[in-house]
Amino acid sequence: MKPLRIRLARLDTGLGAIAALAMVLYLMFLIVPVLLSLKTSFTNQNILFPTSKFVGLANYRTALHDMQLRSSIEFTLALAVAVTIVANAAGLCFAVLLNRTSLSYRVLRTLAFLPQVISGIIAGFVWSWMLSPTGLVNHILTGSGLVSQPVNWLGTPQLAQLSAGLVVSWVLSGFTTVVYLAALQNIPRELYEASSIDGASSRQQFRMITFRMVAPATTISVVICLITVLKLYDIITALTGGGPAYATRSIAMYIISVGFSNDAYGYASAIAMVLLVLTAIIALSVTTVLRRREVEL
Amino acid sequence: MIAQRTAVPGVAPRSPAPLRQAERTSRALRRSTRLAFALLVILAFVSPIYLTIVNAFKTNAAIASSPQSVPLHPTLRNVSAALSQPGHVLELGLRNSLIVVVCSVALLIPLGSAFSFYISRKRTRVRAAVMAALAAGLMIPPQITVLPIIKILTLIGLDHTYPGLILSNLGGGYLSFAVFVYVGFMRSIPAEVILAARIDGATGLRIWWKIVMPLVRPATATVGIFLSLWIWNDFLNPLLIIGPLTGQTVTVGLYDAVSNQVQPDYGLQFGFMFLAALIPVAGYLLAQKQFRAGLTAGSTR
Repeated sequence: MKPLRIRLARLDTGLGAIAALAMVLYLMFLIVPVLLSLKTSFTNQNILFPTSKFVGLANYRTALHDMQLRSSIEFTLALAVAVTIVANAAGLCFAVLLNRTSLSYRVLRTLAFLPQVISGIIAGFVWSWMLSPTGLVNHILTGSGLVSQPVNWLGTPQLAQLSAGLVVSWVLSGFTTVVYLAALQNIPRELYEASSIDGASSRQQFRMITFRMVAPATTISVVICLITVLKLYDIITALTGGGPAYATRSIAMYIISVGFSNDAYGYASAIAMVLLVLTAIIALSVTTVLRRREVEL
Repeated sequence: MIAQRTAVPGVAPRSPAPLRQAERTSRALRRSTRLAFALLVILAFVSPIYLTIVNAFKTNAAIASSPQSVPLHPTLRNVSAALSQPGHVLELGLRNSLIVVVCSVALLIPLGSAFSFYISRKRTRVRAAVMAALAAGLMIPPQITVLPIIKILTLIGLDHTYPGLILSNLGGGYLSFAVFVYVGFMRSIPAEVILAARIDGATGLRIWWKIVMPLVRPATATVGIFLSLWIWNDFLNPLLIIGPLTGQTVTVGLYDAVSNQVQPDYGLQFGFMFLAALIPVAGYLLAQKQFRAGLTAGSTR
């Protein structure tokens, strides 16, 4: 047996070389950068000073009392929860609505993914125009007499946070719709046919069949939505630039502003580590909870 | 909201003929109401994209007075103004983005699929460990890795270059995504097929290229479409890795052009956004068939 295995191993050298190359690239541009970031987070590295020294946990202690960091964490977490709920509810509704085979529905399905196709920068800019005092939303609101004065949707902290939630949900709903549609197409038709013979109403069918059968898709969709919002940068940068008064600044935007505008690499790396731990805890715990739900349903 | 499967064989035909006629009309009515509702909802949902298209061909006055109407007197001023920006940011941006997307995806697909094939033949424990390490790539935010990546690229002399940006694209979460999709698909390839080729003395590389790759074509479509979109729309990595001086990808060029306007020229903005979105949207529409096939096949794995 041994000679054969050796011969087979030799046959695999070419393939092994490509696999090794992939692994080297992954180490070089993901694992090593994370470790370097961790190391930098214990130093006072700053581009303005040539040398840096080990400062222990000083950066993390600063982070504890950094009110700007706290407000960006609070905003990002609230945004992640709100967007995940809205985008998943909308995606499931759209998917149920569009799950038909005729050509018209196929065209509508194609359109529904478009918010994911355009870049977050474009989505942010289009919506910042739509929500501006002279934009379409106010055009409709004042035109129909619902409000007398144009609403400055991006002008006050609360309204801007609400608007950011709306726009990010819009982008992610395109994605969730596609995920749920793929899941719906895998539900055996017999389940619906059998239940309708048993006299189940369409609402019962939704609750007992559809909602349960899409549980694995829900897990994927919810976790990807959460991760996406936790590292969100482009949509908000184009929509509000983090304003007004930093009310809509995400953690990711804060890291970049500390690292590149203030050149404090050490501190930026510490915040990056906080974001990494936060993302890992949320992603792992939500996955565990939703997996358990898949089994119970 | 839910599918009403009224056509249950053995139940419907029992009703007498005139009633069936009435039932048929009411069913047709219900069906068209449903379609009209779906049409309304989805058109409202994609209206921001409709607005980008129509307003790209309107004057600023028309954008302000009737933002939602179709362009009655279409103008090419916005599009041509976007194309004659100082330094030709748009044309250069489109070219740069195309180069980055094509090179990155053309390298990620063979890297990802060969790697997936290689580890799918390894023992379960090895495979699980590798997959866990790769899962981190999907989770780790780019803001954490981008600063050290620039340092590493500086070390090998590729900072602020396109080869540097492409190289860094090969290593991170994109590779993880490709491997996850491919491994799922490769699980469905019967071991006998591979073994038969093995007995004929085919090398691993040859089996991968001649047998595995044709079998996982839907996976390649999924990976290709998603990675192309993500890399084309990427903002942070090109912004920081290429830097402001060397000419930019189209997403960063668009951001600079719009955010540097002192007085917003919405017509020009729409012209710019229309041209920047044209290639990914056209590509997505052209790849519809593969997109659908990849998604349905991917979810059954």
